[in-house]
Amino acid sequence: MSAPAWRQFFSFNKYSQIAARAVRQSLNETERVAAEKRGLTDVRYQKWENGKGGEQVLLNPKET
Amino acid sequence: MLARRSVIRLATQPAPLGVAPSGARNMATLRELELRLKSVRNIEKITKSMKMIASTKLSKAQRAMQNGKQYGIANQEVFENAKPEEAPKRKLFLVISSDKGLCGGVHSSVSKATRRAIADSPGSPIAIVGDKSKAQLSRALPNNLTITFNQIGRDVPTFADAAAVADLIAKSGVEYDVVEIVYNKFVSALSYESGVMQVPGEETFKETAGFKAYEMEEEVTKDLAEFALANAIFATLTESHACEQSSRRNAMDNASKNASDMIGSLQMQYNRGRQAAITNELVDIITGHGDWKTLYAIVRT
Repeated sequence: MSAPAWRQFFSFNKYSQIAARAVRQSLNETERVAAEKRGLTDVRYQKWENGKGGEQVLLNPKET
Repeated sequence: MLARRSVIRLATQPAPLGVAPSGARNMATLRELELRLKSVRNIEKITKSMKMIASTKLSKAQRAMQNGKQYGIANQEVFENAKPEEAPKRKLFLVISSDKGLCGGVHSSVSKATRRAIADSPGSPIAIVGDKSKAQLSRALPNNLTITFNQIGRDVPTFADAAAVADLIAKSGVEYDVVEIVYNKFVSALSYESGVMQVPGEETFKETAGFKAYEMEEEVTKDLAEFALANAIFATLTESHACEQSSRRNAMDNASKNASDMIGSLQMQYNRGRQAAITNELVDIITGHGDWKTLYAIVRT
């Protein structure tokens, strides 16, 4: 089997996070609520060049 | 009013040059003391409540740390069996701290450890989790920074946070042989120390005897390296988080103790000052130097 299709788009970590999200959403009500908390992340990052920081970017922008 | 009468009394005696009349000073310091007392009392309330909050967060953080450590241990098993032959050359430093202050020396400890570690390989790129260390290291080593993260550590860190950091490091295209994660190790609820965890990169794995013994499918080593990095980041994030909560609890505990000591001594000073002022007033009345208006007012109350 040649490389699976997802490899062109994202890394293994992203792949495992997507799979984890699918598993969490398939849980029953109470377990799902508890598990959703483990999948939350508000990480922001900022690239630096020559000692200067760039813009802060939200990894998962909140859909409002 | 009090000052005026005391000034009149003291004007009859020559006062040393440059010294304010003691009555006037007492009046000013009494009000000053009262304000200080009020503000220190408020500070003590705040630090006490912060200590309570940090204590409850600490128990939760410690449980998460115990779970997170398992990920680090799983990593170590693989690394033990796949040791690289030569010392790694290109290092990427990942500094774990957080965004919030008032937690004792956790951030400085990690920043200092990074500066010590990077002395051997000055040009190495640095990635930082947490605004506090970012502020310190951007002053000391600004040209080494490649990418920084924040908004981690407000609550117990999740594996999603760790995976996001690992993913962004991989996407940023930094080349490395090993990632040196600088974090705080939890020694006890009262103390912590800085430590470094090494995570080899994909190339390093490929060169080890352990891996060369097997025929590897194409991308598996890369996946393992990235996932191992996420595991290590999760283990160090949870441990550093626990250190931060314990350090904040201790710092707020010390602050509350200091504040209550200050309240005690300020209260004594205030009472002494108040009693001295009352004594002065009584002396004025008895010796008859006071004006009839004040005498009348005091007699009426």
